[in-house]
Amino acid sequence: MPYIGSEDTVRDLRRVLSNPNVQSDQLRYRNTILKVIRAMSQGVDVSGLFSEMVKACATVDIVQKKLVYVFLCSYATLNPELSLLVINTLRKDCQDPNPMVRSLALRNMTNLRLPSLVEYVEQPLTAGLRDRAACVRRVAVLGWAKLHNLQTNSEIDAAVVNELYSLLRDPDPVVMVNCLRALEEILREEGGVAINKPITHHLLNRLKECDIWGQCEVLRILQRYRPQSEDELFNILSLLDVSLISPHPPVMAATLSLFLSLCSGLPAVGLAALERVRGPLLAACGNTSREMQFTALCHIQLLLRSLPGLMGEHYKRFFCGYAEPAYIKQRKIEVLVELVNDDNVAILLDELRGYCTDVNISTAHAAISAIGRIGRSYSDKCLEILTELLGLKQEHITSAVVQTMRDLVWVCPQCSRTVCSAVEGCEAEIQDSQGRHALLWLLGVYGEQVSSVPYTLEVFIDGVRSEASVGVKMELLTATVRLFLCRPAETQDMLGRLLHYCIEEETNMCVSDQALLYYRLLHCGIEETRKVLQCRRSDPSLGVLIGRPAEPINQWSYIFNTLEPLRPGAIETDDALTASVSAPLSLSLSPALSPEEFEDLWLQQQCPTIFRCSPQSLQAAMQLVNIQTLAFTPPHTLPWRVYLYTNTQNKHSADTCHGTLILGELLVKKNTAEKGIKVTLKQQPRDEKALKGFLSVLTTVLHALSSE
Amino acid sequence: MSASAIFVLDLKGKVLICRNYKGDVDMAEIDHFMSLLMQHEEEGLICPVMAHGNVHFMWIKHSNLYLVATTNKNSNASLVYSFLYKLVEVFTEYFKELEEESIQDNFVVVYELLDELMDFGFPQTTDSKILQEYITQEGAKLEVAKTKVPTTVTNAVSWRSEGIKYKKNEVFIDVIESINVLVNANGSVMSSDIVGSIKLKTMLSGMPELRLGLNDRVLFALTGWSGDKGKTVVMEDVKFHQCVRLSRFESDRTISFIPPDGESELMSYRINTHVKPLIWIESVIEKFSHSRVEIMVKAKGQFKKQSVANNVEVRVPVPSDADSPKFKTSTGHAKYVPEKNLVVWTIKSFPGGKEFLMRAHFGLPSVENDEAEGKPPITVKFEIPYFTVSGIQVRYMKIIEKSGYQALPWVRYITQSGDYQLRTNV
Repeated sequence: MPYIGSEDTVRDLRRVLSNPNVQSDQLRYRNTILKVIRAMSQGVDVSGLFSEMVKACATVDIVQKKLVYVFLCSYATLNPELSLLVINTLRKDCQDPNPMVRSLALRNMTNLRLPSLVEYVEQPLTAGLRDRAACVRRVAVLGWAKLHNLQTNSEIDAAVVNELYSLLRDPDPVVMVNCLRALEEILREEGGVAINKPITHHLLNRLKECDIWGQCEVLRILQRYRPQSEDELFNILSLLDVSLISPHPPVMAATLSLFLSLCSGLPAVGLAALERVRGPLLAACGNTSREMQFTALCHIQLLLRSLPGLMGEHYKRFFCGYAEPAYIKQRKIEVLVELVNDDNVAILLDELRGYCTDVNISTAHAAISAIGRIGRSYSDKCLEILTELLGLKQEHITSAVVQTMRDLVWVCPQCSRTVCSAVEGCEAEIQDSQGRHALLWLLGVYGEQVSSVPYTLEVFIDGVRSEASVGVKMELLTATVRLFLCRPAETQDMLGRLLHYCIEEETNMCVSDQALLYYRLLHCGIEETRKVLQCRRSDPSLGVLIGRPAEPINQWSYIFNTLEPLRPGAIETDDALTASVSAPLSLSLSPALSPEEFEDLWLQQQCPTIFRCSPQSLQAAMQLVNIQTLAFTPPHTLPWRVYLYTNTQNKHSADTCHGTLILGELLVKKNTAEKGIKVTLKQQPRDEKALKGFLSVLTTVLHALSSE
Repeated sequence: MSASAIFVLDLKGKVLICRNYKGDVDMAEIDHFMSLLMQHEEEGLICPVMAHGNVHFMWIKHSNLYLVATTNKNSNASLVYSFLYKLVEVFTEYFKELEEESIQDNFVVVYELLDELMDFGFPQTTDSKILQEYITQEGAKLEVAKTKVPTTVTNAVSWRSEGIKYKKNEVFIDVIESINVLVNANGSVMSSDIVGSIKLKTMLSGMPELRLGLNDRVLFALTGWSGDKGKTVVMEDVKFHQCVRLSRFESDRTISFIPPDGESELMSYRINTHVKPLIWIESVIEKFSHSRVEIMVKAKGQFKKQSVANNVEVRVPVPSDADSPKFKTSTGHAKYVPEKNLVVWTIKSFPGGKEFLMRAHFGLPSVENDEAEGKPPITVKFEIPYFTVSGIQVRYMKIIEKSGYQALPWVRYITQSGDYQLRTNV
């Protein structure tokens, strides 16, 4: 068969299509159209055949009609004028005695997506709403939504809206659900379809007739309903109880979501509902579909934020199978960390240890850092495992272990002795910059505990010329200066060499500036340097609060059963998703922040704002307005310091994910002449409005506290 | 829900067929799908949700196809995945096998189906039994009569149409249970469960009314009611076909229904209980670096003496650089499958209570393979007929039809291996 280019194909097809002999032979005509559609599916541009195809749509053969409609809907936007010709045929089809033809015509009429055709479409759509056949009504109802979508600014006739409301009582459940969907779309500006008591009860009563898609839709829309009395609320809840333990994960999740929104004022009932879905959720984790498993795992993570003990005894259900994909393994590992308790810690650590040698490197890293997280409460066992892992002498494992150890020591300084003896001698295996960064930090801070540190650093300093990573170079500077402070005799010479290189030869501004800083600092004297470098990064008495407190359910219930929990990374903010509407500001603790992330971000951000007001006990009050205090100094130290964070979000934009993160430090100085709190705020991404809003919330809280 | 568009792609990422439902996401966005997927794959972080700008791709893979839904809303992910799997289910029922070839060969039907399954991003008619009544592959033949709307679209019994006729009225009931087991390297059972299903093949005329009787123990488990303490198992995740009258089941525990014609799954369940692994494997794998690997595997049938396990396959992992295999088995035969790095030991029939042994010896090259290898577990496949682990039994099946014909029910029980893994310590 000779090669036929797309232009030749189109020309050939056009010739055949306009051949009267072909047109009179139905079978040949249809087969030719089939060829056009096949070419279209293969990516050949057949838009040139538009006028021929328009003619082909006047036929009694329904398959041919469908094919032509597929074609027309794909290319209509390119040929608005010619599309006008189709409208007549379509309108004629809307009168056809066969309901299949009517619904087909109606659907495609609205699928053409041409604003210029709207006036021709409205009349058949109105008629379609009153059609005898349910399948036509289904299409007509959604047709109005499509029409509205085409020209969002135009008002849809109030009569149509009323008709759609009355169709909520249509005998066909799909028509009913489609009505909800359409009204939701059309009335978006007004906040969606109005849900009052009669509609709610009508929908609830017909829930059983709907298929799972319909059920989920109804359950989602009912979230807006607020029962008028407690009796009514409990009646609704008992009606919903069956769906709550539905074997279909989407229905179960939608019901739980509705439960949580109905019970937002009754946290105890909400928690009871979470207990109730434990079984179905665990079952969903064993779903045959991996994607469904993944979704279930992500949602379990949300639930655990409010009820950490929920899955405790079922921890074995979260053990990973060998062939499971990495995304499931990693979520399971995250869940396992949450489930640790005194009884299962040994088995759990043993299992996690097995994952540390996973072929997938990121899974192995996830397992190693999970062990580190558990180490905050069970440090001895975990350090033993981590030390053992170093013995494997695998590059990426060693690097991950050192990073994990650094994070662990940061929180539990009492582990430093074990960590120091473990990391000694592993510098040869670490190649990546993050691992070396962590190692240098450890060596610098605990230089006096490891005898071989000067030799290790010397190797690093000798190789500094070929070092590519800026972070490693800066850490090397700090580590060497720190070491110099505690072991001056061994370090002086190499420190000199390093400073000389960094100041004279280094091209990176950050590195050379830091070197200059240290150089000048050393000029001021050893004591000064010690004050700067060995006065720890934070107050020694400043401890991180281990373990997050159980969060109230409404912290996360608004993202439950959406796409949001599936997105990787807790504090990723996507600028592209920014909502254009400006909405009232509210604060939230999610995405949650770990102490390490907090420190990281704290060091990155720079935009302080200062204001004054008077102090009292803060923590409880802060929690009330969703500001999380992450760490604070013991009560009587001065200055008393509190670190806190929160996220701002736009309440209206539940559809999009958008918010900004605010970090704060409160400094209370009682001994100064003027009483006052110094507040330092850092923010990411920058958003003046959100910052102002946050400040006003914070001032209100502080004022309220001081007036007590 | 809100899927904006649905795409079917081949493995190279070429669009085979697509349908734009909402028109709010540029169809060209799909071009980013493959590069994103490759990028994630390189990082070892494949994820069923991927984002490009404000467009999210939710995808599943089926044989040599990707099914992708795009959305720019924060839509309900589990519903989107359910829908994609529904697509697979419907297509499979139409084309027997869903793969690139079948999409290419049937793209007209695929277009028609995509049109009926979803409208404006919302699922519409998704029951393949109903769809099959008005969208047929014989559409290519000119048959105008077939284009009538089936009554079932709005009928009370939407899963069965009227006027079905068979010469011989029969119904076949298959009770199938698969066992999932995960055993640790030190021989303790980490997790185990039973996934069961009752499948029907109905060849009955008219609108028959069926009643299925199960043994009491199972019924109690189904309703969570414990008769004699300790003995009952708890079933979770019980799903009935939509034809089963749930209200009836809740009130007097009878499973009554009008069955769909042909093959269907009447119910499925899962029992999360400690099952004794039916085939127990003990293995000693000794690896002498640079010289050889010695494998000794002992398989023991831990089920009733009267039962026989058929087509038993024990798959033992070996290092990827192993060579020159030697085997010795007390029964069955062993085969080396180098492309999967496995030894497959097949035993055609394995009576209960028996114990068999297999020894294997491999050479290892003196130059060590420095690629990191995982620790794959030993997996076992088997099938035991006339036997169920849960003890579920069909007591009776009553078939009542207006015309009063006699119909025969046939029952068959099979227990098979599901995800059956035993970890090794090498």
